[in-house]
Amino acid sequence: MPDLVIRGLDAHYGATPVLSGLDLHVESGATVGLIGPSGSGKSTILRTILGLLPPSRGEIVLDGRRVDYAKPAEVRALRERVAVVFQQYNLFQNMTVLQNVCITPVKIRGRPRREVEDEARRLLAKVGLADKLSSYPDQLSGGQQQRVAIARALALRPEILLLDEVTAALDPELVSEVLDTIRLLAREGMTMMIVSHEMGFIREVSSRVVFMADGRKVEEGPPARIFDAPQEARTQSFVSKILRH
Amino acid sequence: MGYTFQFGQVWPFLPRLFDAALVSLQLALLAFCGGLLLGTAGAAIRTYGGAWARRAVKLYVTAFTNTPQLVQIYFLYFALPDAGLVLSSFTAVLIGMTLNAGAYLTEIQRAGFESARRSELEAAAVLGFSRLQQIRYVVLPHAMRVLLPPLSSHFIIMTLGTSMAAVFGVEELTGEALTLSSQTFRSVEVFLIVAGFYVALTLLASLAISLFARAAFRVRVRPL
Ligand SMILES: Nc1ncnc2c1ncn2[C@@H]1O[C@H](COP(=O)(O)OP(=O)(O)OP(=O)(O)O)[C@@H](O)[C@H]1O
Ligand SMILES: [Mg+2]
Repeated sequence: MPDLVIRGLDAHYGATPVLSGLDLHVESGATVGLIGPSGSGKSTILRTILGLLPPSRGEIVLDGRRVDYAKPAEVRALRERVAVVFQQYNLFQNMTVLQNVCITPVKIRGRPRREVEDEARRLLAKVGLADKLSSYPDQLSGGQQQRVAIARALALRPEILLLDEVTAALDPELVSEVLDTIRLLAREGMTMMIVSHEMGFIREVSSRVVFMADGRKVEEGPPARIFDAPQEARTQSFVSKILRH
Repeated sequence: MGYTFQFGQVWPFLPRLFDAALVSLQLALLAFCGGLLLGTAGAAIRTYGGAWARRAVKLYVTAFTNTPQLVQIYFLYFALPDAGLVLSSFTAVLIGMTLNAGAYLTEIQRAGFESARRSELEAAAVLGFSRLQQIRYVVLPHAMRVLLPPLSSHFIIMTLGTSMAAVFGVEELTGEALTLSSQTFRSVEVFLIVAGFYVALTLLASLAISLFARAAFRVRVRPL
């Protein structure tokens, strides 16, 4: 049962502060929706959790244990439990779809190839790509590549899945197929943190929504409250702009 | 004018030339594979290594790419016995060619290393790949695709460069040709045949490298 707590987190890019005093809790089975204007630090939160950007203050606590990002072994251990899908799918271009999904479990984690391939086939079928196993990424559409990236993350059997604007690079027709995949995961009880500009989707799928601005958490609550009755002025103006859109 | 070709005297020696060609090919292949290992390590260090390691590799590359290969091999040939290492001339030439190739291939591969997309490397890191695993599974396959043409032409230069070994008495193609031409006095015929052998070798060489790339890195070379 994963439980991720972020406490008083500050992060900088060089001298520029990007996150300040951030508190966040992702409890087991929750789907936390992260929204906010561009540049508010949503991606940075995910990058910091994964150890791509070291926190400059505060702590990230996984199951009651503070993660020490200075220790590569702890970062690796965390990455075994927390998987991420980025906006740009970042598939390995020299590998087929099936290889993309299998390489980490087989080559990095040493699980038996046969077992992993069976599981990969099942995952790829689940995201609607059963017939693309031996295609290369550059032979797929954006939506298909993004679904491969999701299958690749799921093949790690993560306890927590972080999704960063996974539909932002997609044509509108392709968005819904990716959202369907995520909806399914939420229903199955996957613990997730989802960054998205698809407000309707965030509202529908999240158990809790966090609104961020300028590297701070402005407001947090159930989707109905954040979207229908926001307490903070910043949230109100963001939500009304988005909805009028 | 009018030179009458007389291949008759030379034909019986064809098997000897063939054996010699195999020695040339062996020398080129071994030196190239060794050089590829050195060059891969060198390029990895130049790209990801610490300051001192990078400087050491740079010194090695500078030293070997700015002096004639013949001089390098002579140096090994005469210096190593003084250091208590007596080598056959084949081994001395092989070591010399390997070190030389390592230096050039470091430079050639460095460009390829930079061709892996940063985003793919980041994805690998987030998936838990170690630095070495990132190089093995992400950087090298990309690099090989970019590098196949320059690597293959360097291999051909090396294959032809094995003729240098004749100077050290290695019985490779050129050495054998020199011996034969003085035995038969049919130098023109001998060297014509030998030229044909070299052409065959270089064709074989480019085939070998593309098979190697495919086996080692599963590089698909396909039109984009
Ligand atoms: N590599 C970087 N170097 C320097 N500054 C960066 C870098 N990446 C992001 N930033 C800055 O950090 C701030 C937060 O960026 P972040 O990507 O977390 O925002 P975001 O909320 O994900 O925005 P978007 O909705 O546009 O994806 C921005 O001001 C951005 O300019
Ligand atoms: Mg972002």
